[in-house]
Order: sequence, then structure tokens, then C-alpha cells
Amino acid sequence: MVRWVKRLAAVGNIIFLVALFYHHGHTGAAIIGGLLNLAWALDEWFPSQIRRFFRPWALVINPAFLAYGVLSGGPSILALLLAGSSLLAWNAGLFLERWGDAPVTIQYQYLRQIGALVALGLLAGFSAVILQGRFALLFLPVFFLMLVAGFLWLRIVSRALKDRTAG
Amino acid sequence: MSMTRSWLLVTSLCMILLFTGLLLKNGVLLAVALPYLLFSLTPFWRSMEEPNLVIERRLEPQYLLSGQPCRVTLSIQNVGNNLEEVFLSDVLPAGLRVEGNSTYHGMLRAGQTETSLCVVRGVRGKYEFSGVKMLTNDLLGMCWHEKFVPSPGTLAVLPAMERLESLKISPRRTRVYTGTIRSRESGAGVEFFGTRAYVSGDPLRHLNWKAGARWDLLITNLFEQERVADVGIILDARSVVEVRANGESLFEHSIQAAASLAEYFLREGNRVGLLIYGRMVEWTFPGYGKQQRARILAALAKAELGEHAVFKELEHLPTRLFPSESQIVLVSPLLCGDVSMLRYLHALGYRVLVISPDPIAFEKRCFPQDECAALAEGIVRMERNATLSKLRRSSVNVVEWDVTIPLRIPMKQTMVGMKRWSVG
Repeated sequence: MVRWVKRLAAVGNIIFLVALFYHHGHTGAAIIGGLLNLAWALDEWFPSQIRRFFRPWALVINPAFLAYGVLSGGPSILALLLAGSSLLAWNAGLFLERWGDAPVTIQYQYLRQIGALVALGLLAGFSAVILQGRFALLFLPVFFLMLVAGFLWLRIVSRALKDRTAG
Repeated sequence: MSMTRSWLLVTSLCMILLFTGLLLKNGVLLAVALPYLLFSLTPFWRSMEEPNLVIERRLEPQYLLSGQPCRVTLSIQNVGNNLEEVFLSDVLPAGLRVEGNSTYHGMLRAGQTETSLCVVRGVRGKYEFSGVKMLTNDLLGMCWHEKFVPSPGTLAVLPAMERLESLKISPRRTRVYTGTIRSRESGAGVEFFGTRAYVSGDPLRHLNWKAGARWDLLITNLFEQERVADVGIILDARSVVEVRANGESLFEHSIQAAASLAEYFLREGNRVGLLIYGRMVEWTFPGYGKQQRARILAALAKAELGEHAVFKELEHLPTRLFPSESQIVLVSPLLCGDVSMLRYLHALGYRVLVISPDPIAFEKRCFPQDECAALAEGIVRMERNATLSKLRRSSVNVVEWDVTIPLRIPMKQTMVGMKRWSVG
């Protein structure tokens, strides 16, 4: 079940990417992104080493295309849908890698969790898009937010590196 | 609780999108970062509690022979909260061969009990199981927790044994209980011992009529009492006597011989003790019966070669451990310098039997059959023969054993030789 969700999400990635770029005439980016996501959808045919190497890149490449599409003036709804389906496809792949033969009850439980999370994320994103322009992004709050975010991120990365060294 | 690399990746992407959105004042990028942000906040939202598992290990059987299977059953009980995904991996001692799956992967609800089963096989030795490595994580793969759950257990793979028959020993002193060893004292028995004048109360069926007719006296036959004896088995575990060839160890054959001898002497009702002389002195106190057999086999299961300056020579053999004038059986490939100590033991009144696995024949198999090898073999064979001959001249019985043949064959041949010698 999770396998099919992952495949469908990867196909969704292709559709959203093509729709995002085709609208603005960036066919090259659409083709590259589509091919990469197609490979991700059919990754079960690849050796496990290639699959393991490819999985994080599948997560990184889609937001990169997404940001490029947004900055090129692509529709925000498509960008959000792409973010949601990309997260879904990546996490389902991660689950399958870890627990390929999980019982159906576990698969249901997993799908409930990921479904709720992606739906919540998309809802929050849509709400933010709808509210866009209602709030002015002033320099000082933005700078403060960036400082806090940067501090948190550096802390997370340093902690993860420390854990890895200790492990 | 620790975060996974996947979580780090998602969080980094979220931060990059947020940064870019804030830098470029692009609201869509900020909105797109929100699903990623929710993913990175998941571990904090649904924080994992400390897993609490109780794992019991059952080994069936705990004592087995080399190559025999042992069923390792792990009973896993979750006495804590629900665990979405648990990966348990049994930390097996080195040297064991696993058949089946020694891991468990699944969900464990609160109070749930699961059983994991695998089969292990091993070579002679004592194996200590320490516990199980546990890894739990959430279904989304964002955080994980690692813990070691102790579940100890001990498995002893006993040495292989050979069934020996009719091994005659004659220690100077025997014990009071009836056995199979001739005690050099008259009494109830089956072997003729001598004659004496009849005294009132002697059984009439023991009267020697021929001797009575000759001496015109009533003469009665005497029989030799058969009793049990004290037998001390010494296993030479010094590293200097070890020979390895084609991945095989001569020490393993010595252990098999010691086990076979212990089993035989105990079967005959004797009191048997074991001394392992190597890195240190490991002494199994003498005893009778099946329990003593189990004790000796357990001691042999964990016997290892060792090196120590004090125990380099046999000179420091603690003779006081063995009852005086008892039977001592040394299992050793022997070195030239060991002769003096064995002579000394004989002088103290012990009866000494040496079972010597032949290191030359054992090592010969891994050399090419050419002139040089034959010459080398001839030289070391001469040296060994000289050592053995010195021992035999000192009334120490020596059984030279080519380990490619069963021990009972050279034992039988040596015993026949000893009988002929004593008759002649």
C-alpha cells in the first residue's frame, strides 16, 4: 500500500513540476525534474546502494526546482502541492527502505500519520498563501526571525554532528 | 532520543526556504516552507519516551556437544508505553554460527510479549550472552533511541568424546569402595590372589582341593579385591606444546582425550579430578558420578591455551592436589624437559600414564612429502623417541597417539604390550 502511495506521490511530483514550469516555458527544467522523479518512482528496480544514495537527493532536488519555479513566477498552489507530494514520496521511500514488509495495520497507521502531517502542512501553506500581502514584512522583525532561525539551525546541525561523532 | 539524518535534511531544507523567503521577501517561499517546518517539529510534538523492555533468554540445551544445535529463545515484553517501531538485535558471542534470524523488527504495544527464536551452533568453548541491542524510532523516521537491554546467558559447547573400553590401571593405593581396579589385597573378588591355610568361617567353595591333597592341609583360595581408585587427569595447556596444522589444533585433540578418559574412569566408578596446567592452574576437585562428569566437561569446555613464566615447565605441577600413590594421567604432546618431573612423580609413588598426541604426525600433513621434510621428520622423531624411551625406562606408561586414528586403538595396543611385559 505504502509502495503505491509513494509511486503515486512521485507521479504527482512529475505532474506538478511539469505544470509549474510548462506554464512559463521552462521545458528543460520540467523535463529534468520529471525524469528525476520518474526515476524516483521506479527506484525499486535499482540496486539498493544507488537507491540509498538517490533518496536524499530526491528530497533536495524538488525544493530546488520548486524555489526556482516560485521565483520565476510560477503558481503558488502548484508549488505547495509539489512540496507536499515531494515530502510524501520521500518519506514513504524512507519507510519502505526501513520496513519493506510491514504488516497492513502498521502501513495504515503510517499512512494516517503522514497523511495528517502533509494535510496539515498543505493547509498551513494554503492559509499562508491566502494571507499573503495582509502582513507587511518589516526589516527588523524579518532580521530578528532570521537570526533566531539561523541560531536554531546552527545548533541543530552542531548537535547532529556531535551525536554522529559520539556514535 | 536522537534525531535522524533525515530529520536534519528536512530541517535544513526548511531553514533554507525560510531564509530565502525572508531575504527575498517572498511570501510563497515562506508558505512552501511550512510543510517542511511541520515535519521538523514532529519529534518535539510526539516526543518518544524511554522504552522499557524486559527480555528473558532461554537456551535449550545449555550444555551441548560441538556441532549440535542450541535453540535461543528471547521472550520480549514491553512494560513501558507503545513502541511504534522496534528493532532488536541479539548480541551474540563471537564464534557462534547462527541459523535463522537473531533479530526482531516490529511494533510493540504496551504489555505485549513477543518471542524471537534462532538456532546457534559452535565449536568447543564457553559462550557468554550479554544482551540485546534495541533501536526504536517513530514511523516517520525522524527520531530514534538506542539502548542495550541485558539478558545474560551461558552456553557451554562440550568437547567431543570417544568411548574407551577396558583401560587397565594399577595405582598403589585404592579407595574403600568396590570397583574394577585390582587393589593388591585379598578379599571378595574374582581374580586369584593366593592361598592360605583354612580357618573356620572360610567359605567351603573356596577350598583348594589340589593344594590340600598335596600338603595334607585344608587350603583356601584367596581372591584379589577390586576397588575404585583416585585418578587425577592433567591436561597440558601450555602454549609451547601447541601445534596447529591446516587450521586444526592439537590441543583440541588433547581435550578430547582428557574428556574421554574422564568419562571412562567415572563410568568405572572411580574418583576423578582434573587439572588444567597452562596460563594458570585450574583445578576441578575430585568427585564421583554424573555431576563430576558434568563439572569436568564444563571445565574442559572453557579450557584455553595459555602462557605463564611460572608454568612454562612441568616442574611447578602442584602434586599435593593429588592423593598420594594415586593414578595420574597426563595428556600432553610432551617436551624434552618434562621427563624429570614425570620421573619425580613416579618416585613419589604415583602411577603415571602419559597419553601423548603425536605432534610430528599431526604437523607432517601440512608439509610437502620431499626429502627435506623426511629428514626433518626423522630428526624430530629421534628426539621424541628418546624422550619417550626415557619415560618408559622410568616405568612411566606412555601411549603415543596419532590423532588421525581413534584413541582406543593405541590404548589397546599399549595395554597389551604392558601385559606381555609384566607376564614375561
